Amino acid sequence: MQLIGFLIVFPMLAALLLLVIRANAARNAIAYASAAIIAVVTLFVFGTNLGTEAVYFEFSSGAIDIICTLISIAIGVIIIGYAVRYRNIITLVLGIAQLAASLVFEFAFAHGVEVEAGLYMDSLSLIMAFIIGIVGSGICIYAIGYMEDFQAEHADERDRRPVFFAIMFLFLGAMFAIVFSNNMSWMFTAWEITTVCSFLLIGYTKTEEAIRNAFRQIIMNILGGIAFIGALYYCAIGLQTLSFAEFLQIGTLAPVMVVLPVTCLAFAGMTKAAQMPFHTWLLGAMVAPTPTSALLHSSTMVKAGVFMLVKLAPVLNVCWIPSLMTVLVGAITFCLCSFMAISQSNAKRVLAYSTIANLGLIVACAGVGTAEAVWAAIFLIIFHAIAKSLLFLCVGTAEHHIGSRDIESMDLLFDRMPRLARLMMLGIMTMFVAPFGMLISKWATLVSFVETQQVALLVLLAFGSAATFMFWAKWLGKLSGIAGRPENVEKTVHVSEWIATYVMAGLIVVCCVLLPLISEYVVMPYVAGVNLNAVATLSNDILWITSILAAIVIIVLFAGLKKSSKSKQVNVYMAGITVDSDDRSFRNSLGGTTKATASNWYMTEYFGEKRIKPIGEISCAILMVAAFALSFAYFMALI
Amino acid sequence: MATWIATIIGIVAFTVLAPIVGCLLDGVDRKISARMQGRVGPSILQPYYDVRKLLEKERASVNTVEGTYIACALLFALVAGGVFFSGGNLLLCIFVITLSSLFFIMAAYSTRSPYAEVGAHRETLQVMCYEPMVLMMAIVVFQASGSFDIAGLFSLDTPIIATTFGAWVGLLVILTIKLRKSPFDISSSHHAHQEIVRGITTEMSGPTLAKVEILHWVENVLFMGWVGMFFINANPISIAVAIIVAVLVYLFEIWIDNNFARVKWQAMFKIAWLSSLVLGGVNIAIIAFI
Repeated sequence: MQLIGFLIVFPMLAALLLLVIRANAARNAIAYASAAIIAVVTLFVFGTNLGTEAVYFEFSSGAIDIICTLISIAIGVIIIGYAVRYRNIITLVLGIAQLAASLVFEFAFAHGVEVEAGLYMDSLSLIMAFIIGIVGSGICIYAIGYMEDFQAEHADERDRRPVFFAIMFLFLGAMFAIVFSNNMSWMFTAWEITTVCSFLLIGYTKTEEAIRNAFRQIIMNILGGIAFIGALYYCAIGLQTLSFAEFLQIGTLAPVMVVLPVTCLAFAGMTKAAQMPFHTWLLGAMVAPTPTSALLHSSTMVKAGVFMLVKLAPVLNVCWIPSLMTVLVGAITFCLCSFMAISQSNAKRVLAYSTIANLGLIVACAGVGTAEAVWAAIFLIIFHAIAKSLLFLCVGTAEHHIGSRDIESMDLLFDRMPRLARLMMLGIMTMFVAPFGMLISKWATLVSFVETQQVALLVLLAFGSAATFMFWAKWLGKLSGIAGRPENVEKTVHVSEWIATYVMAGLIVVCCVLLPLISEYVVMPYVAGVNLNAVATLSNDILWITSILAAIVIIVLFAGLKKSSKSKQVNVYMAGITVDSDDRSFRNSLGGTTKATASNWYMTEYFGEKRIKPIGEISCAILMVAAFALSFAYFMALI
Repeated sequence: MATWIATIIGIVAFTVLAPIVGCLLDGVDRKISARMQGRVGPSILQPYYDVRKLLEKERASVNTVEGTYIACALLFALVAGGVFFSGGNLLLCIFVITLSSLFFIMAAYSTRSPYAEVGAHRETLQVMCYEPMVLMMAIVVFQASGSFDIAGLFSLDTPIIATTFGAWVGLLVILTIKLRKSPFDISSSHHAHQEIVRGITTEMSGPTLAKVEILHWVENVLFMGWVGMFFINANPISIAVAIIVAVLVYLFEIWIDNNFARVKWQAMFKIAWLSSLVLGGVNIAIIAFI
C-alpha cells in the first residue's frame, strides 16, 4: 500500500519541485529522474502483484478528506478565475454550480459516510498503472527534448516550461489516484484534477484558438463532473456508501437500485472519453504541444473515462438503460469518427479521430459488459495507449523536422527520416491490421458482439472497420514511398525523443509477441475476478499464431527492407517521356517539363465532417437525453 | 496442439495445391473468355507458361523493397488459405488475407510511380468497399453454425445456406471486386485497355510479377472456398455440391466480366456498401431475431 501511496504522491511532489525550479538543466535532470523513478516503481508494483485478485487496503484519513475538499475549492477557484478573466459565462455558471455542489456534498453529506477501504488494487488498476507509469512517464521524457525545440520556435514568448512540466507530472499523480481509489469522493477529486490539468495544457500557448478550445474542453468535462457529483449524492444519501466496490456490488445484485447513478457515472465517463457529441474537445486539444496530445490521448484523461466505464461493465451488463446508451453511443461514435478520419489530411486530426473511434469501441464493449467484451475492452485500452503514444511522438518529431503535420508532406519520409518512418509504420500497423494488438482486440470485440447478438453493433463495426482500413492504409502508403536519395533530416532529433519513441516501439513488440501471456497473467485475473466462469475471448492457440505472424511482420519491417540489393535498378514508367525519374517529371505536350503529383483520397463528398458530424451529434445527444429521462423516471418510480 | 499441426499441414498443402488449381482456373477463365469473344484462346496451361517465363527474367525493379512486400503478400495469402482449408478460424483467415492485400498495396505505393500510385489508391478503396461484407460473412457463419471454425461446418445437419442466403448473395457482389473482374476492376485489369496502364502492378516485372500472378491464383482458390463453405454439412456429398457451386459461380463471374463495362469508383462504392448493408445487415438481423 505504501508503494501505491508513493505512486500517487511522488509525481505531485515532483510537479511542485518542477514548478519552482527555473533552470533548464536542473529541470531536465529532475524530469528525467522523476520519470525514471515512477517507471521503476510502477514496474516493481506491476511485477510483484502480477495476477493479483482485488485487494482492499483499510485506509481512511480525515486529513485526506480535508485535502480533497481544499483541492476541490482550489479547482473551483481556478475555473472561476479563468472564466472571469476570459469572460466565459457558461464556464462561470458551470464552475460555480460544480463548486457549490461539491462543497455542499463534502460538508453536509459525505461526513456521515465512512469508507474503510480507501485504496485498493486489482488487475485492472495494475494495467492502468502500467500504462500511466510507463507510457505516461515516457511521454514526459519525450517532452524534455520536444519542448526545447518548441521554445526555440516560440523564442519571443515567455518560457513557461516549469508550469508545463509541473502539470504533466501532476496529471500522472491524479491518474494514479483515480485507478487506486476506492473512496469515490477521492476519486472524484482526482477526476477533477485531470479535467483542470488538461484545461491548462490545452490553453498552454494562450493563442485565441487555444483558449477557445480549452474552454470547450472544460465546459464539456464539467458537465461530466456534475453528473459524477449527482452519482455521489445518490450513493451517499440513497445507498449510504461511498465505496466504489460496494457500489458495484449493489449494482450487480440489485440493478434497479442504481439505474440513475450508473447512468450519471457512464455519462461522466463518456464526456471524458470524448464520445459524440462531446468529441470536439479532444479534436480541439491538438492545438497544444504534441506531448500534451500524446498524454491526453494515450495514457491519461480519456483513459480515465474508459476506465470508469470498464469498472461499471458488470453493472451495465444487467442494467439495460445505461447499457443501451453506452453501447449505442460508443458504436455510433466508432463508426462515424472512422468515416470522418478518411476526410482529414492533418496527421494529428486523423490520430484524434482514430482515438475517438477506438474509445467508442471500448465504450461499446463496456456497455455490453460480458466477460468476453471486458477482455476485449482491456486489450483495446492497452494497445491503444501504446500505439497511439508512439504515433503522436512520431508525428511530433516529424513536425519539427519536416515543418508540417500534414500527411501529404510526409511523402518520402521513408527516405528522409528512415528510422522514424519505420517506427511510425509500426505504430500505424499496430492500429489496424492483424496480427497486431488493436486488430486482435477488435476481433475479440466482434466475437463478444456476435455472442450477445448485438445486430446494430455488428453492422456499425463492420462498416467502421472498413473505413479504418482506408484511412490508415493511405497514410501508410504515403510513408512507404521511396525515390532517389533525399537528404536525411533525422540526425538532429533529440535523444530524449528517441528514448521515448523506442520505449513505445519496444512495448508494442513485446506486447504483440507476448499477447497470449498478457491475456493469461494480466487480463484474465481481472476478468475472472468479475465473472467467475470467464474464459478468454480468443483461445491461446490463435493468439500464439498471431504472435508468430506479428514477429514476422516486425522482422520484415525493421530488417527486411534493405537499402541495396543485387537486382537491376530501373526508372519508373512514365509513358516513355521521363525527364527526371526521382522527381517524377515528364515532358509535356508543349515541350516543357511537368511534375506528376498524386495526393491521397479524402472522399469529402461522402465522409466530410459537414455531412457526418451532425448525424452523430444529434443521434448520440438524443440517446443520452433519453437515457437520462428514462433513468430519472425509474428513480421517481423507485421512491 | 492439434490446431497447430492442422494449421501447418494446411499451409503446406495449400502452398502445393492452390497454385496448381488456381493456375488451371485461370487457364479455363482465359479460354472461356476467349470463346465468349469469338476467339480460339490460348491453351489451358498458358498461365503456367507465362509465369514460368516471368520467373526466368532478369530481376529489375524501381526500388529495393517492392519485391519484399510482394513476397510478404504471397506468404500471408498462403497462410490465410492454409488456415481456411485446414478447418481453422474464419476470422483469422480474413484478417490474414487483408494483411496480404495491405502488403500488395504498400508495394505499389513504395514505387512512387504515378500509375502505380493511382492503382494503389483505388485498391485501397476496393478493400474498403468489400471489407464490411467480408466481416458480415464471418458473422453469419458464426450465427448459423455457432462457431467461427470452418471445421464446425462439417458437423451440421443442414448447410448454413438455408439461413444465410442473403449474405451469400452479398458475397457474390463483392466477389467481383475481389476477383478483379469487370465492372469492378478499377485498380488493375486483366484486359489491356486499362487507362492507368496496369494500375497497381505497373512497376512489377519479372519474378516479382510472377509472384503477383501466383498470389492471384491462390486468392481465387481461397475465395472460391468461401463461396463453397455455405453448402457444407455433415454429409460428404455436400463437398461435391460445394465444388460444383463454386465452379458455377466462377463461370457466372466470367460471364459478368465479359458483359459489363467498368464503372467509376463512386458507383462501385455505392453498390458495394449498399448491397452489403441490405443483404448482409438484414440477414444478420433475421438470424438474430428469428
